[in-house]
Parts: sequence; C-alpha cells; structure tokens
Amino acid sequence: MNDGDLALEEWYNAIKSADTIDKIEEIRISVFGKKGIMNAEFARMKDVPDAEKGTFAKELNIHKEALNALLLERKLVLALAHLEQTMKEEAIDVSLFSPQSERGSLHPVLETMDRIVEYFTAMNFSVQTGPMVEDDFHNFEALNLPKYHPARDMQDTFYFKDAMLLRTHTSPVQIRTMLSTQPPIRMIAPGAVFRRDYDLTHTPMFHQVEGLVVEEADKVSFSNLKYILEDFLKTMFGDIDVRFRPSFFPFTEPSAEVDISCIFCAGEGSRVCSKTGWLEVLGCGIVDPNVFKAVGYENVSGYAFGLGVERFAMLIHRIGDLRSLFEGDVRLLEQFR
Amino acid sequence: MIVTKNWLDEWIDLSGVETQLLLKTLNAIGLEVDRHDTVRVPDKIVIGYVESCERHPDADKLNVCQVNTGNDVRQIVCGASNVRAGIHVAVAMVDAVLPDGLKIKAAKLRGVESLGMICSAKEIGLPAMGEGIMILDESIGKLVIGKELKDYPSFCDDIIEIELTANRGDCLSVHGIARDLSAAFNKDLKELNQKEEQEGRLGIGRILQLQHTETFDTELLFGAVDIKELQVPFLVALRMAIIEESYETVLDALLQYATHNTGVILRAYPFSCLEETSNAKSIISLVKDDNGYASLYGKEKLSVIGVSQQKEARFSDNEGLAIIEASYIPPEIISQIMGEKKIDSCPHYYRTSRGSEPKLNFGMRHAMELFEKYSESTVYAGHLELQTPREARVITMNESEFESFIGMKVDKTTLTHILKNLGMLISKPKASIFAITIPHFRHDIINRQDIIEEIVRIVGIDNIPSKPLVFAENNQNTADFEEYRKTRMYRQRAAATGFFESVHFVFNERATLERFGFACTDESKELLNPITATMDTLRPTLLMGLLLSASANVKVNQKKIALFECGMVFDTNRNESKRISFIISGASQMDKLSNAGKAPSIDFTTFTQRISDIVGSFELTAHTTTHSLSHPYMCAKVMINGREAGELFRVHPHVEEELDLGHTYVCELDMDQLPYGLIQAKPYSKYQASFRDLSILIPKSLTYEAIKEVIAKHASADIKRFYPVDRYASESLGDQVSLSLRFVLQSEEKTLEEEEITAAIEWILTGLKEELGVSLR
Repeated sequence: MNDGDLALEEWYNAIKSADTIDKIEEIRISVFGKKGIMNAEFARMKDVPDAEKGTFAKELNIHKEALNALLLERKLVLALAHLEQTMKEEAIDVSLFSPQSERGSLHPVLETMDRIVEYFTAMNFSVQTGPMVEDDFHNFEALNLPKYHPARDMQDTFYFKDAMLLRTHTSPVQIRTMLSTQPPIRMIAPGAVFRRDYDLTHTPMFHQVEGLVVEEADKVSFSNLKYILEDFLKTMFGDIDVRFRPSFFPFTEPSAEVDISCIFCAGEGSRVCSKTGWLEVLGCGIVDPNVFKAVGYENVSGYAFGLGVERFAMLIHRIGDLRSLFEGDVRLLEQFR
Repeated sequence: MIVTKNWLDEWIDLSGVETQLLLKTLNAIGLEVDRHDTVRVPDKIVIGYVESCERHPDADKLNVCQVNTGNDVRQIVCGASNVRAGIHVAVAMVDAVLPDGLKIKAAKLRGVESLGMICSAKEIGLPAMGEGIMILDESIGKLVIGKELKDYPSFCDDIIEIELTANRGDCLSVHGIARDLSAAFNKDLKELNQKEEQEGRLGIGRILQLQHTETFDTELLFGAVDIKELQVPFLVALRMAIIEESYETVLDALLQYATHNTGVILRAYPFSCLEETSNAKSIISLVKDDNGYASLYGKEKLSVIGVSQQKEARFSDNEGLAIIEASYIPPEIISQIMGEKKIDSCPHYYRTSRGSEPKLNFGMRHAMELFEKYSESTVYAGHLELQTPREARVITMNESEFESFIGMKVDKTTLTHILKNLGMLISKPKASIFAITIPHFRHDIINRQDIIEEIVRIVGIDNIPSKPLVFAENNQNTADFEEYRKTRMYRQRAAATGFFESVHFVFNERATLERFGFACTDESKELLNPITATMDTLRPTLLMGLLLSASANVKVNQKKIALFECGMVFDTNRNESKRISFIISGASQMDKLSNAGKAPSIDFTTFTQRISDIVGSFELTAHTTTHSLSHPYMCAKVMINGREAGELFRVHPHVEEELDLGHTYVCELDMDQLPYGLIQAKPYSKYQASFRDLSILIPKSLTYEAIKEVIAKHASADIKRFYPVDRYASESLGDQVSLSLRFVLQSEEKTLEEEEITAAIEWILTGLKEELGVSLR
C-alpha cells in the first residue's frame, strides 16, 4: 500500500457520510473532476518504477470503480430520501376530499318508463306515439266507449271549447296505429295522459304505457297475455307473485286487473296494499270485437294491456307522495343520481 | 256495493265457507273486494229487558233503570233519551271491555249505583245507528234475556264492500252477488220461500187503473198496500247502517232495503195523489214528459221511471194506502236520454243506469212480505203490470272457440254448469255448437267474447296456463322509436351535465302567461273545464313550470338549482311540438373546499358552457324575445348548424325578484333542431398546428359577431379555428376595449413556416383595420 491508498481511503468515508445531494456533487468534483484526486493519482504514475506501473495502475482503477459505484449508490439513496421528504410535505387528508357528485338525474317516472320501453322493445314490440289533443272518436268511440256509456264516468275528461279533448289514456294511439297499418301488430304506446282529478292519489296528468298485439284469428289467447305480463312484472319488480282478477274495460273482453304480491309486506298486510297483501298494477284483456270493428279489422285476434307509470315508479322506488313527482323538488330528484 | 256474509247466506248456503275463501272467490270472479270489516260484539254484552225507568233524582238527563239481565234484575243508570220501560236492550255487564277499551265497572253516578251500561250501536263496535241506545226486536232472532249478543248471527258478521265494474248492474244487490257466487261455488241458490197469493183479499184492480199509449221500453208493476203501524225492524236498521244508506221515512227504509236485497227499483206513492175516475178507480198514467222521459202522472207528475220522484208524490206518512211501483228500463236507453238531456236524478238512478233487476215481481213480493211481517199493513191482491216484449238474446258458439280464446280446454260439462249457474239457458249442444240464451238481467252479455269472459272468471284466470305467443319476427325500428331514442340521449346528457329532470303538468295559468307576453291557445280552442284557475290553459313554453319549481326550491333553502324538462308545448292552434328546456338558478356549484364555501353564482359563460356540453357547439346571436321573461341585454338566439334552435337568456331581474330567485339563466330549445344521427369523420392534418394570439382595440359597441364575419372573410385556408380568449376594459382605454383572439393555424400539406403564419395573421389584421377601423393593441 502506498500513501495514495490512504488518501483515497478518506474519500470512501467522505462518500459514506455525505448527507445531501449537493455534498455528493462536491465530492464527485473533488475525486473525479479535472483537478480531482483521481487525476492527481494517475499523474503520479510517471514517478512509479516501470516494474510496478502495472500493479499501480490496476489498483488505482479498482479504487476508481469502487469509488464511482459507492458515489452513485449514495446519490440514489439520497435522491430517494429527498423525494420521500418532498412527497411527505405534499401529504393531504384524503378524507377531506370525499366528493359530492354534482351530476343530475333522470326523473324516476320517465326512467321507469324507459325501463318498461326497454322490456317491450326487447320483446319485439314497436314504440308508437300520438297526439295529446284528441277527438272523441279515437279516445272513446273507437274504443267501444259510445257516448253516455257509464264507463266514461271512470275517466273524467278535459274538454276544449271545440269538442276536442285531452286523451284520457294512450289507447287512442292503438286506434291510430291500427288505422294506419295492417296486422300483425306488436306495439306499445308510452306517454302522458290526462284526467280531471286532483287529490292525494290523483294528478290531472300522469303517464301510461299501453300495449297491443294483433294477429290472425284464433292465434292470440288469454294464455299468451298471461305469459308476457307475468314475465314483464317479474322483470320490473323481481321475485313477486302475480294474480289476475276478472274486471271490466270497455275495450277488452274478457278483461282482467293484475296484482302483484305486496312488496312492502310478506302477506301480513301493509298500508300500501290496504292490508290485502296485493297491489294492483295493470289492466289487460282480449281486444273487444267492437274495437276491431271500429278500425275495419276482420278475422283477427289480439290482446291489450295498460299500466300507470307513476304507480310503478312509486312502488319500485318507494316514493310515498304522488304529487311530489310533479314538483321539481331537488330533495327528491337528487336521490336518483 | 256492500253486503255481509250472513246477508248473503240468506240467498246461498255459505255454512262451511270460510270468510277468507269467500273474499278470495269474490276477487277471483271479478267482484273486487274493496274493504272487509268484521262485526264482532265483545263478550259479556247481553240482552236485557228494561222493567222500569225513572228519572234520576239529581240529574235531569239521567234515568235509573231496573234491567232484567237473565240471572238478576240490576240497576243501571242510563243517559240516553230513548230509554224507556218495556224494551229489549244491549247491556254491557260489569267487567265487559268495549271495543274502545272502556272497561265496565260498578259505579255510582251522582250518588246512584249503576251495575252495567245500556249500549248504543257505536259503543259495541257496530256502525252508528242514530241517536241513543239500540232497541232490539225479534228481527234478529228470538230474544232470550241474558243471552250474549255475540251468539246472534247479526252481531257476528263480515262486512264486505265490493268495487263493482260499470258493466255489472246485475250485482247491485245481495241476491245478484249470491247468484254469481252460486256459479263460483257450483251451488244452487236457496229456494225462495215466497208466499202464494192469499184468497179473499181486495184486488188491486178494484182501486187502480194504468193508462198508457206506449210502453217506452219500460216494464212496470204496481201493487197496493194499506200501511198500518209500520216500524223499521232492528235488523233492517242495522243493515241500512252497515250499507251506509240513510232514509227519511219508515216506508223508505223498507223499500230501500228491499231494493238493496233484490236489485229491483221500488217506489211508493200515496194513493191520494192519484186522480179518481167516475167508477171509483184511480188512474196512474205513463206518459212521455217534456224532456222525453217515460214518466208517471197522477193528479200531477209523480216520477220519471228509474230516474227521480217528485217530492210531493212521496209517501211520507206511517199510515194510509200506498201504491208500490217496481220498474225497469234498459240501461242503454236511459243513459242515452240522460246523456242528451240531463235532469236531476235520485240515488236509484245509479242502479237504473247500470242495469237494475228486471224480475219486478221478485222485488215487489219481497217488499210486500216486509210490510206484512213487520207491521199491521194489508196488502192488496194482484198486480197491475206493463210489459215490453223483448226477445231473448241467443249467442251461438263453437266449442273450439273457448279454447282458442282462453288458451286452455274447458270440458263441456264444466262449461254447461257455469253458464247454467249464471242463469243462462243452453240448448243441447248440436255437434259442437252451443246456443246460449242470455237472461234478461245480463244486459252486458252481447257477444261471444262476453261468454268467454264468464267462463274465464268462473274458471279463474289463475287456473289458466301461461304460454308464450309464437310470432313472426319484424324490424320494429319505427320513426317514433328513433325519436324516443333521440330524446332519451339528450335527457341522459342533461342528467350527466348536472341537471335534474323534472316533469310538470302541461297546464299553465293563462293570465300569467299573457302578462309575460306569451301567445296562448286560441280562445275558441281553449280548455272548457280546467281543474283549477292556475291550470286553465295549455303551456306554450316549458319555462313557466321550471321557473315555478325553481322558486319552490328556493323556499326550501336550495342554493343550487339546475333543472331540465323535455316535453310537449302547444301553440295557439294547439299544435304540439317537443322542446327541451334548462334552468340554473343561484349557485353554479355546491359550496365546497375548492371554493372556500362560497360557490360562485351562475353566470352567462358557465350556463352556456353547460348547455353546449349537452347539445354540442352552437352560436349565440343577439336576440330580443317576444315575451318579457328575459333580461333585455343578456339574451341570445341559439343557432345550431345555421338554424334557429331556441333562445338562451338571463331571467329578467323583475321576474327573479317576483319568484325569490337569485341569478337565473334559462334556455329553451326545439328538439327538432337538435342534431341526432351518425357522425362522419373527416380527414385531419398530420402536421403540427401553430397558435397565435392577436390583441386588438375595438369600440365597446362593436359585437364579436361583426368581427367574426370580417375574420372569416380574410381567413386563409390554414386558419383552422379562432376564438376569443380575453376581453379587457379599463378607464385608460376609454370607449374602447381590448379583445384578444387566438388563432389556430395548420396546413394539410406541411408544417407552416413562421413567415406564412405571420402573413396570414397580418392579412386578417388588415381586414379588421380596413373594414372595422380597429387597431392593434
């Protein structure tokens, strides 16, 4: 070992004890810079006897590599420590930043209507629309509701001065579709309808989806109607029981009302089902021959059904107050984000 | 229609039929049970006999009664005004617990001992039956003193209210419902125990004569009864209370009861209101009245058949000779006349219009029996009758039709049983053809599908299997469905952009709309019967609904209100068009950390940006609205693809103030003008784009629209886009403002050289200088 070794030994310690990146840079210049110790050591080579030159150079190169490696390693350690420190200073309390969504939402009634439309379009039904301002023929006469029929009382109607009216159901769309096309027909008519009634459980405007299927004679039976409505109701409400009760609608014969098992109680009775265990959700039936007669169809068979969308939305989303659906109240709407 | 289980049992044997099964069956056959209440009188309420009744020594309104309750005679103090000696009453014994929770105890009332309580109907859980205590009689069965009330069927019953559909007039009676149940349970109705005519009575023909020239499609039957000591039996009074029917006279009570029981419309007239002829007979005449209704006349007009009775022609005494009328008029005929020329009607009209029971003799006999059973009245022999010949409807059906309509085979025996139990006559099936004769009381059965309905409801829809329909596939993408999808896309975008969807009634207040200058529905086409004054016309805009909802939200302290609605509006001719409208009122965002709890108010830029996030880019041009909802200087026409799509404006400060709103911006767009369809990509340059800013001084009055026009004229093909990035006004600039514009330059063929860029910008600047006199800042 020569004195050079001793001098270099100090630098090993210097690197090991350097505690900043700047210090490391200083050391690098002192060791590897132009005027650095390494160059000075190599300059001593000329004074070394020839026979030892090889060994001298070899040792010096070993030191050079070792110092360089040590320097890089130390620099990396210090850089990482520095980054760690910087990041530490950037630390935030993430719990302060839990976001509050500012997205809007679709209206629960129209969103429910969308789901209904999706079901029936998936079952190859077409979507049809029609005017809200209707005439007596399309809204009543053609639907086997002749003037002065007591069933007209069921639908208190908004009239205009020129004897037009606001449609009381979406059934006139079925008439319009039958008059403009030929069977087979598979259609639904979603839309707003109007009845002159305004209290806790009635609003002057609400939404319906009506469906109509027309095929050749003897093809469509009550069994078919049962199948699609049971499937539809299970799609909308999940695991429920479906019950059909005979009823009366002027435009269908036989007619039925459809109930689902109450989703609020396990049969013991809730306020919503009036303790009956059943919720009425649909009306349906085999199309009355007088309706087909009114549109000039012969030798056909078909079924029709209709439902109130608000009722579905209120049951599905557990909304208690019908009128709240028409008040644009953000406290209700923001729950549907 | 209200019935009770025991009442039904008078017509059909329901012993062994659990109430739950009865309810289920009624629902299953289409007689929807709307309400079910039980009548259960509590324990320890017994029949007592008031042996004596004296005024309480210290209380004017109290009586001290000695009441025989079977095992003893006890003293009971009673406050009812109708208590008296010699009546049977309901006594709640000591320790009885009344339905309202009151426990009867031995007590002293003003110093007099009382061992029980004489009860009113309400106190023991029955429907209210007028003032005072119940006075019992043998109409409920033999009265046994000391026997508990709960052991009498009348006090242990089920009240069932049925929501009848409009076509089932035949079920507007207890008998009618029993008849339907007989088909459901396949059980015969009980034999009618109606007495045969007794000999030796005075015949009605001796005193009454019916005059008519036409029948007017009515059926009439007249009987006569000499009324004496008529009283309302307890059972009738109780049942009238249960069915919630009130009555004025004793005779009314019995006739209404008979009508509810049999479905036959019954009226009574005092004999004295008829005109006497020379041969000592009185005459009743059937005539068409001034309004075209079949009416009865005596000295004066008596009644309109099935519709109403003149007040003066009512039998209001408890004594005297009464003419009883049973009538029927087909519902379709009376509804038509009533529809054309409406007149006042009495409660019977509800039955008439839905089809009352045409078997008049059945109702008449029932009424007469009540008179004889519960009074000393004498019934005259015989009837006066007017019949309108009617051919029974016969419907023929092929056996296979049942299966094709129902989707399930019902065997011939079952079919025959059901139809027979419903009162139909079936000729012996020839081959597979049924000829079914429809009874008169089922005016609603007209065609084959009506017969199918009868089978379906009695078989039970729940017993019909569900089968999917096999059909031919078809492309169902109609134009209406396309329109529906377009609307849905915009609704979803609006929701994603922070707007809450709202739905409003299509009605607005005409006065308000007109005050704001909107053109409303033409007067000649206006709503005839609006539901309220605030909803008396169709909406010509969605904005009123949104503004009113925003206002309501402010009242419940909402700071940030962003709503939209997509719906129909109506022009003066009531033509419908679809619009989508937006409102933001108050804060533009929620209070939060990033805005230090002070959310900025909505402003023109932010609002416009939100709308374009939904409908895409558009241009705004200066605009003055035809209505006065808008701020006159912050109001724009929305141009999409060069076409007018709607308007966007800040709400007029007056309107904001009126509705308690903060800064409020709205936008209403015509759905037809919004783009929808597939996008076609264009080729784009692969060379680098360059950006240059240009700041110019312009007069304050100069619109950007004008600047845009000049730039467009002078822009080379390499100017891809330009847009304003800063606008700066200060005192030092005086009447001028500085406007900075950013230009994006890009060539299709190469990277643009610095000189080319400078030249292009220079050319624009020259144009601006020459045409608008603006200078570089």
